[in-house]
Amino acid sequence: MQRRQFFAGAATAVAATSVSRVALATLPEPATQASPDTAPPLVPPNGRPYQPVVTLNGWTTPWRMNQGVKEFHLVAEPVVREVAPGFFVNLWGYNGQSPGPTIEVVEGDRVRIFVTNRLPEHTTIHWHGQRLPNGMDGVGGLTQPAIQPGKTFVYEFVARRPGTFMYHPHADEMVQMAMGMMGLWITHPKGQHPHIAKVQRDYAFLINAFDVEPGSKTPKVNTMLEHNIWCWNSRAFPSISPLVARRGDRVRIRVGNLTMTNHPIHLHGHEFEVTGTDGGPVPPTARWPEVTTDVAVGQMRQIEFTADELGDWALHCHKSHHTMGPMGHGVPTMIGVDHKGLVGKIQKIVPDYMVMGERGMADMGAMEMPLPENTFPMMTGTGPFGPLEMGGMFTTLKVRQGLGANDYRDPGDFQHPPGTLAYEWQGAPAATPRPARVDAPGTAPTEPSARKPAASGHQH
Amino acid sequence: MNTTEPTVWRLTAAAAALTVLAGCASVSPDGLQGRAMEQAARSAPTLAAQLPPADLAARSDAQTQLQVWLAQPLTQDNAVRIALLHQPALRVRLAELGIQDAQRVQALQLPNPHLTLGRLVNGHEREIERSLSFGLLDLITLPWRTQRQAEARDHATLLAAQDVLQVAADARRAWLRAVAAEQVAAVHSRMVEAAEVGAELAQRMARTGNWSRLQWAREQALLSDAHASQARAQLAAATAREQLHRTLGLWGANARFTLASSLPALPPVPADVLNAQALETQALEQRLDLQAARRQLDTTSTRAGWAGAAALFGSVGLGYQRNTTTERDSGHRDTTRGWELELPLPLFDWGGTARTAARLEVERSAAQLQDTALRARTEVRTAWLTYRTSHDLARQQRDEVLPLRALIQNETTLRYNGMLASVWDLLAEARTAATASARAIEAQRDFWLADTDLRLALIGALDTPATTLGTATPAAAADSRGH
Ligand SMILES: [Cu+2]
Repeated sequence: MQRRQFFAGAATAVAATSVSRVALATLPEPATQASPDTAPPLVPPNGRPYQPVVTLNGWTTPWRMNQGVKEFHLVAEPVVREVAPGFFVNLWGYNGQSPGPTIEVVEGDRVRIFVTNRLPEHTTIHWHGQRLPNGMDGVGGLTQPAIQPGKTFVYEFVARRPGTFMYHPHADEMVQMAMGMMGLWITHPKGQHPHIAKVQRDYAFLINAFDVEPGSKTPKVNTMLEHNIWCWNSRAFPSISPLVARRGDRVRIRVGNLTMTNHPIHLHGHEFEVTGTDGGPVPPTARWPEVTTDVAVGQMRQIEFTADELGDWALHCHKSHHTMGPMGHGVPTMIGVDHKGLVGKIQKIVPDYMVMGERGMADMGAMEMPLPENTFPMMTGTGPFGPLEMGGMFTTLKVRQGLGANDYRDPGDFQHPPGTLAYEWQGAPAATPRPARVDAPGTAPTEPSARKPAASGHQH
Repeated sequence: MNTTEPTVWRLTAAAAALTVLAGCASVSPDGLQGRAMEQAARSAPTLAAQLPPADLAARSDAQTQLQVWLAQPLTQDNAVRIALLHQPALRVRLAELGIQDAQRVQALQLPNPHLTLGRLVNGHEREIERSLSFGLLDLITLPWRTQRQAEARDHATLLAAQDVLQVAADARRAWLRAVAAEQVAAVHSRMVEAAEVGAELAQRMARTGNWSRLQWAREQALLSDAHASQARAQLAAATAREQLHRTLGLWGANARFTLASSLPALPPVPADVLNAQALETQALEQRLDLQAARRQLDTTSTRAGWAGAAALFGSVGLGYQRNTTTERDSGHRDTTRGWELELPLPLFDWGGTARTAARLEVERSAAQLQDTALRARTEVRTAWLTYRTSHDLARQQRDEVLPLRALIQNETTLRYNGMLASVWDLLAEARTAATASARAIEAQRDFWLADTDLRLALIGALDTPATTLGTATPAAAADSRGH
C-alpha cells in the first residue's frame, strides 16, 4: 500500500482552501491511497481484535486511538481513478481514491470521523444503515448544515450494530454519487455472534456505474440509467482483482449497490446463502441457497459459501450489458446483412473501414482496432482460451489447493485436471451441415405476411 | 508657263511639309493594337507574359500555339492567352481602335486646295479663269490639331488597353468559376457514392429484417437528395464551362479541352496589398481610366484655346487667281493674276457660343476626371476589403474547417471501431466532410475572384461588380444518423 503525507504533498492546494493549519494540527492525519490495486487486509494494530476484510481494488483506512475513541479522517476531494489500465476517469472520492477507504470498526466502538471538504461544492456524509443520533446521520439541510468547501466537520457515534454498511454524501448526492463518492463501512461483531460465522476470506466491494462519453474523462452526472461504465469499486473487467480462496475456505462476499439499477450478482460453480443485509445478519433459518442474488438499489448483500470446487469461477452481474464496456445503443443490428460489394465502396469514402457486426459483435472482442482516446472498449480481456468478450462487472473466484491463509495474490490461470475440460469432437463430422436459416432471411412463409403484395416489388 | 506657277506649288508643298512635321499622318500598321498591348503590359506587369506579341506575324504564330495549349489541361494563364487572341469581342474592340486611328490620320490631313477653272465665251472674247484657293484656318490650327489628335489617340489606346485587361480578367474569372464548379461537381459525386452505399446497405438491412421500411426509406430519401444536388452541381459546372468557352472565344473541337484539376493554392497575403491607403494612391497613379480621363481633360483644354478663333476665322480663305482673256478675233491674250482673301464679317457670331461650348466641355471633362477618381478609390477599397475577407475565409476553410472535418471523420471511424457508431454515422460524416470540401473550394474560388478584382481595380475600371461574398448558408444538416 502506498501512502503519502496528504497535506505535505499538496501544500499549495492547502493554501487554496480555507482549512486552517492550526485546526488541522488537532486532526488525525488523513491517510491517502494512490494505487487502484487491492490492498492487503489491515490487521488492527490496536483496539478490539477482528478478522479484517479485503476491499476489492481498495483499501482500509488506518485510524488513531484517542482516549478510547477511534478517530478517522476522510477528505472529500477530486481524484483521478484508473478504472482500467489506460482508462482514466475524473472522479470525486475520498483520500485519493474512489471509492474512499473502507472503515472497519468493531461493534461497540466509539468512532469519531473528521470530514474535510476539498470539493468545489458543499457535501455531507451519510452513514448508510447505522444506528446513530439523528444529528450524526449526515443529511444536509435536514440533520445538519452542509460542510462548505474547506471546512471540516466531526461525526461521532457508537457503532452499535455489526454488519456491512456504506457511506456516501447526502448533499447534491445525485452529482456526488455519479462522480464516485462512496465507501464501505464494516462493523465486525464483538466476540462470537450466533448468526455471524467465522470466515477465512472476507471480500467487500461496492457496485457503481458511470456514464463516460467515449473519448472523454469526466462522467456525465445527469445520466439516470444509460451508464456505460459498470464497475465494482470503480474498476471494470479485466481490471477487477480476482477473489482468491484456498479450497475449503469459507468465503464471505459483501456487495453494496450505489447505482441506479439492480444487479443480479451471479457466482459459478457454488451455491451460496445470503447471510446478511444492511439490516443485519440473516438468521440461519431464513436463508435459502442461491447462485444469483439481486442486489437492489441502495442495498447491501452478504453472501457466504464454502469454496470447495477448484477452478476459475466467473463472478458477475447477470445483466449482460453490465459485463460490457461502452457500446452504441443506437447502432443497428447488422447480423446477417451481406456486405458483399459494398466494403470496397465504403473504404473509398472511409479508408479505415472494416466490416463488423455482420455475424454478431464478437468481432469486437477479437479485433484490436484503434478506439478514441481514453475509451474503454466494449469487449476486452483475454483468458487462457481466448478473448473473454467482457468489460464491466465481471471477475473470477479462484479456488486453489493449499494457498497460504493470507495469500491474496492472483494464482494465475487454472490448470484443468485431465478429462475435466470441454473438448472438440474428433469423430465424423455432423451430417450435412444444415443452413443456419431454412428460409430466406426475413421471410417466414409459414406465417401470414403482413406485407401488401405491391410492396414486395421493392424486394430484389 | 510663267513665273507665277511655282508659287502655287510652293504653297502646296509647304502645307504638305507641315503635315509631315506633325508626324501623325500615317496609319499605324497594326491599327494601334501593339500600342494597346504595350500599354496593358506596362499597367499589369504580371499579365505581360500572357499578352499576344505586338507584331502581327508573331501573333499569327501564337495562333498556331492554340492547339498546343488546348492539348494539355487548361491553366489559368493559358486561358488568358487564348482569350486575348480569340475573344471575338476583344477583336471587335481592337479593330475599332484601328478604324479610329485611320479616321484620326484622315482628320489630320490638310484639305486639298481648290482649283477652279472657268471658260467664259462672249462674242469677241474667250476667258479662262484659273483659281487656286486654300482654307487658311486648317493650316494655322494644324499644330493644335496635331496635339489634340495625339491626345485622342492616347486616350483611345488607354481605353483599349483597359479593354484588354478586362478581357484578361474575365478569362481568369471564367476559368476560376469553371474549375471550381467542376471540382464541386466531383465532390457531389462523392456524396452520391456515400448515399448510394447507405441506401444499398439499408435495403439489405430491410431485406434481412433488421430494419423497418421506414429506416430504409430514410436512407433512400438521402440518396434522392444527393442525386438532386449532384444534378444541380453538374448543371452549374456545365454552365460555368460554357461561360468559359464564350469568354475564350472557343467553339467546336476547340471547346473539348480538359480543365486543370484544381484551383491555385491559397497564397499568403502579399505585403503589397496589406495597406489600403497605399493601394488607393497606387490606383490613382496607375489606373487607365484615370489616365484616359486626364488625357480627355488635356484635349478639351487645348481645344478651348482656339475654339473662339476657329469659329471666328473658320472660313478665312486664301486664293490665287490667274485669268486669261483671249480676243477671239486677234488672238490677243491678256492675263490677269492676283490674290484673293476671303474674310467672314463677324456681325452675328463673334465666336462666343463656341468658346462657351468649349469651356463647358472642359468643365465636363474635369468633372468626369473627378468622378472617375472617386469611383477608382471606392472600387479599390471595396476590392481590397473583399480580398482580405475572402482570404481569411478561404484560409479558415483550409486551416480550420477541413482539418476539423477530417478529425471528426477519423474520430467517427474510431467510434465505429468501438461499435459506438454505425456505418451510417460514418457515411453521414463522409457526406458532411464532402460538403465542407465543396465550401472550401468555393471559398478558394471566391478568394481568387477577389484577387482578380483587386488587381484589375488597381489598373482599371471594374467592368463587372466586384466579387460579392454571399452570406453563408448553413451547412447541410448531417441529421442522417443511421438510427
Ligand atoms: Cu448489473
